[in-house]
Amino acid sequence: MVKFLSEEWIEIGKKYMIEKLDPVKDLKSITTSLLGVVEHIPPDDSTMNFYLELEGGKLKDFIVNTGYTFEEKEAAYEIKGNYGTYKSVLKGEMSLGIAVLKNRLKVKGSKMAALKLIKPLDGVIVSLQEITDEFEE
Amino acid sequence: MTSDNVLVMEKTSFKDAVTIAKKGTHCGMCRFDFLGSGVCPAGRKHGFLAYWPQGRMEIVKQLDSGRVKPTEKLKDIVNSCNLCGICDKQCNFITQLRPEKVAGALKEYVDSLDESEIQHVPEDDILHGLREIVGDDWATNDPIIISAYTMTILPPDNKLNYYVVMPENTEQISKIVKFANKNNVPYLPRSGGTAFSAAAPTVLVKGLSLEQGIIIDLYRLRNLEIHPDSQTATIGAGITMFELQKEALNHKLRALAAEAGAHVCSNILTTGIISTWGNKYGAFADNFIDLTTVDDEGNIKKHSDWERNNPYSTEPGFTNLSLTPSVIVTEAVVKLHPVFDDEEAVLVPFDNIRDAFRLLIKLGKRDVGLSLAVLSRKYLAEFLSPTIQISKDFDYVCKNYLKLNYVVAVICDQNDKKIVEDMVNCTIDQSLMKSLILGAPRFSKLRDSEFLKILSEEEDPLKAIFAGPMRKHLEKALDPSPEQVSKVFDEDLQDFFKKVYSKPEMTDIVWLHAFRILPTRMMRQQMFMGPGGAMWTGDEDHYLNWIQMFADMGDKLDVEHSLGFISPLDHGKFAYMEYDYYYDHNDPEERNKISKITVDSMEQSLVMGKVLTILNYLYKGIYRKEHVLYPIAKGISEEEQELFKELLGTVLGEEI
Ligand SMILES: Cc1cc2nc3c(=O)[nH]c(=O)nc-3n(C[C@H](O)[C@H](O)[C@H](O)COP(=O)(O)OP(=O)(O)OC[C@H]3O[C@@H](n4cnc5c(N)ncnc54)[C@H](O)[C@@H]3O)c2cc1C
Repeated sequence: MVKFLSEEWIEIGKKYMIEKLDPVKDLKSITTSLLGVVEHIPPDDSTMNFYLELEGGKLKDFIVNTGYTFEEKEAAYEIKGNYGTYKSVLKGEMSLGIAVLKNRLKVKGSKMAALKLIKPLDGVIVSLQEITDEFEE
Repeated sequence: MTSDNVLVMEKTSFKDAVTIAKKGTHCGMCRFDFLGSGVCPAGRKHGFLAYWPQGRMEIVKQLDSGRVKPTEKLKDIVNSCNLCGICDKQCNFITQLRPEKVAGALKEYVDSLDESEIQHVPEDDILHGLREIVGDDWATNDPIIISAYTMTILPPDNKLNYYVVMPENTEQISKIVKFANKNNVPYLPRSGGTAFSAAAPTVLVKGLSLEQGIIIDLYRLRNLEIHPDSQTATIGAGITMFELQKEALNHKLRALAAEAGAHVCSNILTTGIISTWGNKYGAFADNFIDLTTVDDEGNIKKHSDWERNNPYSTEPGFTNLSLTPSVIVTEAVVKLHPVFDDEEAVLVPFDNIRDAFRLLIKLGKRDVGLSLAVLSRKYLAEFLSPTIQISKDFDYVCKNYLKLNYVVAVICDQNDKKIVEDMVNCTIDQSLMKSLILGAPRFSKLRDSEFLKILSEEEDPLKAIFAGPMRKHLEKALDPSPEQVSKVFDEDLQDFFKKVYSKPEMTDIVWLHAFRILPTRMMRQQMFMGPGGAMWTGDEDHYLNWIQMFADMGDKLDVEHSLGFISPLDHGKFAYMEYDYYYDHNDPEERNKISKITVDSMEQSLVMGKVLTILNYLYKGIYRKEHVLYPIAKGISEEEQELFKELLGTVLGEEI
């Protein structure tokens, strides 16, 4: 059992991505970083974020923090949404693309640039879907 | 007939009720009084869609399919209906359906139920929270009530995992949004449901509808005040276009008009109000003085707040697609425009689109006329004909004998009328249009007549019939009268329709343009999808090739199709074009074809360039048209086309 946003989630997520994803085939040799802000986390309505960095398709950083920002690094992209939306994406009920187009996940900056990221990030999303099976209720 | 002169209603079986209900297309015209017949009292009182004729029809379908089981509320719903027959009058005028039969069959069905068949619906914390905000009567999780929203915000086969809430003011909406966020429940506002109903049978359903969560039904925000001095109106999000227009006309004013049953606040946000009056009255943010909105954090804001980020601009580019509104518009202060005493309708008939387009753009660039559009033959036939068969025959006569394929419809004052008349060969005036409306049944029967055969041999049949010696023969043959046109309706409704057609406005082309009660006839017992968009008019060939592209797609997939309308924007620099495809919404194969056309036509439009497609239009209405329409879009590159395909693939489903 791995709970979304837990330390274990980060550890297993990292391991999974490194072992299972091919930097060229799965991650299209992408170099980018993404800050995902998760709001309204039950039970006390808190906010957390996770920072994910890829270089040439290789995972460089994957970190979870509390609050809205990750002080140490500035991400190229930032998406923000409710805990429930992330949960739907991670449970495979809603695609990342539709979550962005339905404004459930809000993109800071250009929507166009963020949408271009969706395909290369597919592998990451699938990995996180594979490992995440517990959520706050 | 019984002694008290009332026709006894024959009982309708549940099965027949389902058949009727399936033909319904959720136009929403039963929710406001467009014929002077009054409006469903139960719907007015209880608000939830389930209590309106449209909702009862949907419930019958949902019960039949087994998606819902009867609940206590179902009893309340049927008991609230006294079979007064208002819905039959309204619906029959548009669709020729009889929703009262469906309501009657539903009543019978409920009366025959055993108590053990009624399911109990447990309440939960979300429902309690919503009720704390709006009061006990205005929030529910009852599956029967929820199921009524299928096809007009809910997809057809999701689990009915929803709540409906009916707030009455902006503050309540703000609280609902905050509450929904805190509890991680998605939500979506719902107004007239007219945009949803058009999207629902197609691939767009997944993107546009609510997958689970809270339906915020805005019907109760019914504030409507006209301010004659400033020529503005303040309207709540529950007010339909028709209701605003009616109130405005009492002050000799007019609102920018689009679909009669669309709520004005929703229409502003959804499309910026695409209208034949748009060249003169404006589009997008031109329409309003101010908006009150609730954002997705629940914050209440006004466009006029001066210490805020610019609310009028948006990201340009083809990927700026949005499938839900960024804010909920709860109230708008809209601009109104004077109604002049000397307004008149002038229609210029054409056999070909190029000449019609050319005249339209010429008039648009010179700012001639208040309302300006090319309307297709199909539109004329659908709008003017009281029944489906008459519209088919009407279309046939126009096409095969008159070569009347398009009209440029101009609503203007007398000065502009002279300008138009000086520019063209012949026009169809108000009096002849009146004859065509009241004589539509006779007109359609003229097919294969000697009279039309002679006419079709004329060198210019349009001129001969509308400005030549044949005109008086036509008028005679039509024998136009309210009696005549009302005879095509069901016998028990004929007296009512005679009165309706005797009202001056029912044959007044200016009034009909402003109140738009006829366009829903396009969706009588079948559905239509109208892709298109606004294209730069600087290159006539480019524009006409674009229209041809839509026609070719219809031919290729063997779907009934026709140009809808073209209307200029921004002093004729752009023109909005809608191309319509008509199909049976109950046929999955037909629905697939429409989905394919929707996606492919958008892709092809983007490749062609100089266009803002309807999907790019969506939810941009609160921005300045200058930010939305400019810079004029270039055709997308191959790489961008790939991105677009991927994007639609993930969003709309890979199957397209
Ligand atoms: C026969 C027909 C003719 C039409 N002709 C025209 C036309 O000429 N011009 C034109 O512009 N459109 C036209 N439309 C499209 C449609 O009427 C518009 O898109 C209109 O805005 C829909 O209004 P509605 O109240 O029915 O909205 P709904 O269908 O209830 O909702 C449409 C969308 O807006 C959202 N929404 C609803 N209310 C609000 C609100 N207050 N604030 C924020 N978001 C909201 C909903 O979540 C949904 O995403 C036509 C449709 C039909 C069926």
